[in-house]
Amino acid sequence: MTSSDNNSVNFPAILASSVHDIKNSLATVRELIMQIAAKQQSSKSPDFMQLEFETNRMNNSLIQLLELYKIDSDKFNLDIDEYSACEILQEVKAQQIPLLQLNKISLTIDCDDELFCFCDYNHICNALGSILNNAQRYTHTKVQLSAYKEQAYSVFCMEDDGTGYPEHLLAINTTDTLSINTISGSTGLGLHFVATIAALHATKETKGFIKIDNESSLGGARFRLFLP
Amino acid sequence: MKLNLSSKTILIIEDYSVMRKSMKDMLYTLGAQYLFEAENGHAAIAAMKKQKFDFILCDYNLGEGKNGQQVLEEARHKKLIAYSAVFIIVSAHQSAIDVLCTIENKPDEYLAKPFNAQQLSRRLEKSYSRKQQFSIIEKEIDKENYARAIFLCDEALSKSNQATHSNLLKLRAELAINTGDYDKATSIYQQVLDRRELAWARLGMGIIAFFKNDLEQAITLFNGLIEQNPLFMEAYDWLAKSYQALEKITDAEATLNRAVEISPHSFFRQKKLASIADITGNIDVAEQAYKAVTDLGKYSIHKSPSDYSGLAKVFSRKKDNQQALKTLDSMKQHFLNNQEADLRAATIEAEVYQNMGDKKLAKQAFDKIHSLNRELKNRAPNDLKLDIAKALYLNDDSESADQIIADLIQNNIDDNAFIDDIRRMQTAIGQDNYSEVLIQQTKQKLIAINNQGVALYQQGQLKEAFAVFEIAIEKMPSNKTILLNMAKITVHDLKASGITQENLLLAHRYINRAKQAGVPSDKLGNLQLEFENLTNTPPPLV
Repeated sequence: MTSSDNNSVNFPAILASSVHDIKNSLATVRELIMQIAAKQQSSKSPDFMQLEFETNRMNNSLIQLLELYKIDSDKFNLDIDEYSACEILQEVKAQQIPLLQLNKISLTIDCDDELFCFCDYNHICNALGSILNNAQRYTHTKVQLSAYKEQAYSVFCMEDDGTGYPEHLLAINTTDTLSINTISGSTGLGLHFVATIAALHATKETKGFIKIDNESSLGGARFRLFLP
Repeated sequence: MKLNLSSKTILIIEDYSVMRKSMKDMLYTLGAQYLFEAENGHAAIAAMKKQKFDFILCDYNLGEGKNGQQVLEEARHKKLIAYSAVFIIVSAHQSAIDVLCTIENKPDEYLAKPFNAQQLSRRLEKSYSRKQQFSIIEKEIDKENYARAIFLCDEALSKSNQATHSNLLKLRAELAINTGDYDKATSIYQQVLDRRELAWARLGMGIIAFFKNDLEQAITLFNGLIEQNPLFMEAYDWLAKSYQALEKITDAEATLNRAVEISPHSFFRQKKLASIADITGNIDVAEQAYKAVTDLGKYSIHKSPSDYSGLAKVFSRKKDNQQALKTLDSMKQHFLNNQEADLRAATIEAEVYQNMGDKKLAKQAFDKIHSLNRELKNRAPNDLKLDIAKALYLNDDSESADQIIADLIQNNIDDNAFIDDIRRMQTAIGQDNYSEVLIQQTKQKLIAINNQGVALYQQGQLKEAFAVFEIAIEKMPSNKTILLNMAKITVHDLKASGITQENLLLAHRYINRAKQAGVPSDKLGNLQLEFENLTNTPPPLV
């Protein structure tokens, strides 16, 4: 538990509660935008698309900030059970589908129905969702989601046909959550968040991690999440 | 399976009109036709009384009044939700553990805002199909037809795919615990744990250790769980329970204190903490917990006059007479025309006015205790009877007080926690000799009767054994040990002499009496199971 002196202010706690308020307000803003767009029958106009995309990104960042605050102040634990990997990928797709359609990005899923993995469903879906959200900014036309077993790990893989991760990102050791901190902006926050959530998925022997490279089968960036 | 929403009735409970509209729009897009709205808990309960819904989407935060969890609690309590219906709690928090603090009354599904139509559709579909599979089992559990529930659960397990397998195993293990089949439960949890360390399975192992009275082991397991999962509230509740069973009451208090710090919104946990703080005498903790209880209870179906009288007693102990009286006033406002509330108020008023040296008002309160006690007769809860006895002692009516204490001891001799409450009260007013002698005598008597009955039972003299208990039960009508033994004999008699209408009714009656007296399901469950298996038909209505 983070504590502070009686006369000093617990700034992280204030920040967290403000973030929570902002997130609630943002939810209302998003609803109002959608309703206005529907009234004006202009929900397909580029401005509204942009609004939808940006507010979604803001929402993702706020969620990540809140979760990281909880992890930091020991107000967090995973709720692990066994889930179908396909279900997770379908959920991630459902989360992002309005934006994918707006951006005219085609998304394919490649996963064996019989593949199951141990994880915290909500957190893994959110983490992958934020990576997918980011990928949409950089990919050209396609994203592929897949899941498979590799040795003792369940692997969730996301590939796109964009220009790939820039050199300075590839240079970072993604199994070390601290070094991800040096990446600025929402890409950094997103990767830091996923790496943190991955590492919390730990067994006695090993723990989860992420890897990024440009070995995408579609020619762009490849992101992989390894869970024990 | 594609879910067709067009024939389904859906209730949306949400205080904020923008969000209500947004949900409605989504559901219409998904093909729903029968949508109903409620903007607060009160309206929601009214709507559910009028008709049964297939889906209930309920926001957690509903402004002033009941919150989503309390709506669910009340609706389940009043049986306003069909077994096959899906109740979903919606909230802006990312995970359910941030919002849902109780093990009681979990919703079927938790949905974090914001979500889009596709996500909602997937969630509705998944929960609906899972519910179709589970509701037939849950229905039998609710009716306590354990044999039938186990049969259905085993059948479902044999046909299940991996997606539902884990949930079914969890349910099957809980059924095994409820029917005292610890070997089965252990083997299920172990099978799960062999593949992966999962909190719910480890918790199950702890619960089994608790019921097997291996309390040290239970405590080790629950502590380990909390270390790994600091937000796993069920582990705190069981840890506190284990400490209490070991009479490590300050450890129990500390455990619950930590739990309410993390998750302050559980009515039952706060109430448990309050009652434990009453025992430890930690008056500040008691005050805080009782305040939380009265706050949380405001809109809860579970609120009771004892929440307020507990707080008033704390104030009286602190000699804060004004606050005590104020609390009693607010109790009377919350419980109009409620004899129990009036009686509770009078017992505390008698004490408070005596503290204040106001003989006239103390006498008035005392007279009120007498008249209300006569009206309420035996219906007063045990803790209230104890308060009445205390007030009578303090007003020099030892004769009536002794009689109440004698009855309480006789009827609750096997409830160690309550017997300790009696001891504490008696010590507080310097009367411990009277009750202690009686407690020991009653214990001896119970042991003697029990030995006699059990000996006869073991010799196969069922009728004679039953007769011994029958005489005893007249004097201690809600004694759990005796009632459980009588239930056992009657069930055994079904096997020994074959089923007749008469002994069937008798067995059913004593199982029910034992249940009503509060014999826990881990002791009674396997008997119910045996009864069901023997009769193989639904028990007759009595």
